[in-house]
Amino acid sequence: MSESYEFLFKFLVIGSAGSGKSCILHQFIENKFKQDSNHTIGVEFGSKVVNVGGKAVKLQIWDTAGQERFRSVTRSYYRGAAGALLVYDITSRETYNALTNWLTDARTLASPNIVIVLVGNKKDLEAEREVTFMEASRFAQENELMFLETSALTGENVEETFLKCARCILTKIEAGELDPERMGSGIQYGDALRRMHRQEKLQPQTTRPDCAC
Amino acid sequence: MALKQKLKSLMGGKQDSLQSPLEETTSDFLTVGAAVMKNKIEKKPVNPHEEQEIIDGIEDKYYNNESFDTSLYELQKLPEVLDLEKIAEDAAKLKTQLQAVSKRVSELILQNHPAYAAELQRVMDLQRTLRSAGAVCQNGRRQLAHARESFTIASLGLLANYRKRQQLIGLLKSLRTIKTLQRTDLRLREIMEEEDYCGAIQLCLECQKAASTFRHYKCISELSSKLQDTLEMIEEQLDVALSKTCAGFDEAYYQKVQRAYRQLGKTQYMVFFGANLQKRQYADLCKNITIEAFTPCLVDLCKALWEIMKSYYKTIKWHEAHDQESANSESEDASDNIEASFNRRYVNQKLEYGRGRIWQDVQQKVKMFVLATDLSGFKLDDFIHVLDIINRMIEIGEEFCGSKSEALQDSLKQQSLNYFKTHHQSRLDELRMFLEHEAWELCPVKSNFNILQLMDHEDGYGDSDSDSDVPDELKKDYIDELTGEAHSYKLGRKRSTARSSRSHRQNPLITNTTLNVLRVMGKYLQMISFLKPIAFDVISCMSQLFDYYLFTIYSFFGSDSPSSNDRTVNTRLYTTLQRILDNLIATPAADKVPAATMSPLINLNSSSTLYGLAERVVATESLMFLAKQLEYLHPYLEELIPSNKKAFLNQFYSQSFMEFHKKLLELDKRVPLPKAVTNLIWEQCIRHANRMFVEGYASSKKCSNEGRALMQLDFQQFLTKVDQIAEIRPIPEREYVEAYIKAYYLPEHELESWVHDHKEYSNKQLLALVSSVGHLGRKSRQKLISMVEEMDKGRRS
Repeated sequence: MSESYEFLFKFLVIGSAGSGKSCILHQFIENKFKQDSNHTIGVEFGSKVVNVGGKAVKLQIWDTAGQERFRSVTRSYYRGAAGALLVYDITSRETYNALTNWLTDARTLASPNIVIVLVGNKKDLEAEREVTFMEASRFAQENELMFLETSALTGENVEETFLKCARCILTKIEAGELDPERMGSGIQYGDALRRMHRQEKLQPQTTRPDCAC
Repeated sequence: MALKQKLKSLMGGKQDSLQSPLEETTSDFLTVGAAVMKNKIEKKPVNPHEEQEIIDGIEDKYYNNESFDTSLYELQKLPEVLDLEKIAEDAAKLKTQLQAVSKRVSELILQNHPAYAAELQRVMDLQRTLRSAGAVCQNGRRQLAHARESFTIASLGLLANYRKRQQLIGLLKSLRTIKTLQRTDLRLREIMEEEDYCGAIQLCLECQKAASTFRHYKCISELSSKLQDTLEMIEEQLDVALSKTCAGFDEAYYQKVQRAYRQLGKTQYMVFFGANLQKRQYADLCKNITIEAFTPCLVDLCKALWEIMKSYYKTIKWHEAHDQESANSESEDASDNIEASFNRRYVNQKLEYGRGRIWQDVQQKVKMFVLATDLSGFKLDDFIHVLDIINRMIEIGEEFCGSKSEALQDSLKQQSLNYFKTHHQSRLDELRMFLEHEAWELCPVKSNFNILQLMDHEDGYGDSDSDSDVPDELKKDYIDELTGEAHSYKLGRKRSTARSSRSHRQNPLITNTTLNVLRVMGKYLQMISFLKPIAFDVISCMSQLFDYYLFTIYSFFGSDSPSSNDRTVNTRLYTTLQRILDNLIATPAADKVPAATMSPLINLNSSSTLYGLAERVVATESLMFLAKQLEYLHPYLEELIPSNKKAFLNQFYSQSFMEFHKKLLELDKRVPLPKAVTNLIWEQCIRHANRMFVEGYASSKKCSNEGRALMQLDFQQFLTKVDQIAEIRPIPEREYVEAYIKAYYLPEHELESWVHDHKEYSNKQLLALVSSVGHLGRKSRQKLISMVEEMDKGRRS
């Protein structure tokens, strides 16, 4: 789809199986709830252009499988992600407990300064809640994460989550904390900007070291 | 004598003065009387008696005639001889007579004077009265004349006025009528608003007739032209009303309209539905439709058009029914009947013809609308929704007039193609991203996994509630199609499970990217069912996905193979790769995809990871799996594409696929490609190692007998080691190495035939062998070398 955009951010959606990652993504992209969702096999992909602070930003989102058996497959998609949604299920302490592992994975495999939003999904199932907002909020604070509770069913906070993450990245770029030119930053310039930068710097930022082909 | 004279003259005078004889005589008499009286007084009073006698003595002759000339008479009486005495006596007698008469006269006069005076007075009175009477009379005459004059003019005026009045009354009546006529205009309008067209027309026509009788009025010409206008307006309104039936057919209403038309004498009046589809700005409007508004607009447009067609259909039905009726009722009147039936035929013909035209119009409208917007940005579901609507319209068209709806089909195809191309482009880009991220790790799936399971997944996801806003009728169809699809998938799956249980004992070796390719292919297959007109393009795009995957795997893992030259890589594979490179990748153009670069995480150069053995295995196996899935889809695909394009499918299957399938075996040789079983890995390993042995041995230029023995020993050592770790019996290509080593020992003549027979060794290896053999004579060595070179030539050509 030939939408023009100024930036392209690579996003990850990670978290334990069944926490609703794919549903969040589906809700974000299609604006509807994915009823009979199966476990994700491997990694799926989705993209959407959003408006962040007046700038068109294309989000390239990798929706990873949460099941342990796909770990080896999904790991390779972490690399160079600019942002991540770390999803747990507020009705399942188990998914909450696994957060630390996911966080370590994200920070080591993607990039240490990856922008992560902690997402407590299934907010609509208040009655079955096992993890309180306060508790998760504290965890987020300790680990320097942003935190939101969402409902992929109702769509509450779903878009906000992605926007929040993108906004944070954009702020960091503007503050110079993140360099889109750096390899594996998970950020690319969109068509218009890229052309501009190409003229400034002879080396296009998309080049990667030649692999072993 | 003087007196006589005097009397005579007096009398003569008396005769002369006629002017006032009365007065003069009176005065004469008076004077005479006076004189007489004087005479009497002078003489002596005579007694009356004597007087009488005297008077009687007066000759009669004096009394005879008035005109008697006394003097003459007396003179005549005189005798011839005059006697003075006698004369004197006569004179005295006459004098006494005169005196008596005078006296008598005077007496009489005096006696009669008061009477005379009274009489005179009366005469004077009478005269005066007469004079006044004359005046009265004159006045009366004058008055009368005036009166007569006045009376005539007045009566004439009266008459004239009366007539005028009569006329004015007539005029007033006319004016009242005209006023009413003019007021009917309002009434007409009211009637129009009440949509009583018949009444309006009737009224209008009546008015016109009335107006024509008042033609001579100036205002009427205006009025009648106004009436004409009104009539025209009614007609227009009627047209509008008729066109209203286009959008919503109401039998009663239509009947009303038709009757009105008949009243206008337009029995052949037709329903110009087509003309009612608004024209000019439509195209511009279409261009301004935003993406968001597109689908609702399309739905509305189609609904509106459908309403029109429905109305048209009802019109036809109405005419049919109505004709029946009128045919029954009019059968008596022959001449009318002919005309009526002619009209009916005309109308029916026109209606029949209009059917096609309307559909053509509708098609054009929809086509224009559909093509005006670039739908490539649509989500698949939305796009399918659009397609569905159009398909529905095509069906309607088919039912409506048996049209094949080329225009719609065409727009459908055009948009589908455009949409799909864009879709495909982004999918290819996505595939590149997947490939660039791919770790070539095994993605664990169930052993009987195949493409159809994945497609079922996609099914469940894509269409859960995407069609909630589709009109019910469309929805029904849409679902029908879906279930139809699902049905065929299920059939397919049954086949596949039977198949996979045979061919795949273990879990298929696939990567996440493979899964993605399959997912995309599944989506494409699903799309085919909606994009039937471009099924061929979709399949060719599927082949592009495969091609790209194949090419990438080759460039990732195959191009670094030491033996990758056109001898080990079969020429057909080579051409296939070249074709993919040219068609799909090559230079970064709009419809091409840049070649993928491998994820930097993968290290193919480290011995510790067996040079990425696992990755290579997974990659190639995944390609195999993909190929198998495609092969499995072959019959299904064949059903989908039009027969004239089957050649392409076959070409694809033969060119990059079926043969590739075979070629994979050769790929196996370049890249270790075991069947995921260690045996196979080892087999490939050993095979590869063995080749390396030969290659290595061949690279030594000289070789002593001892060296050769050591080679053999090394190889034996290798074999025993292999024996310990691998369970492969027999060691593959063991002879390949052994024969090469042993060839060294062959006598000259045998060596020649051996070289001839063993074409599996490369030129270089053979040459190395020949040159390393110590016991060969120079001549025979030359001979062998040239033989090898010839063989090589032969092999190349």
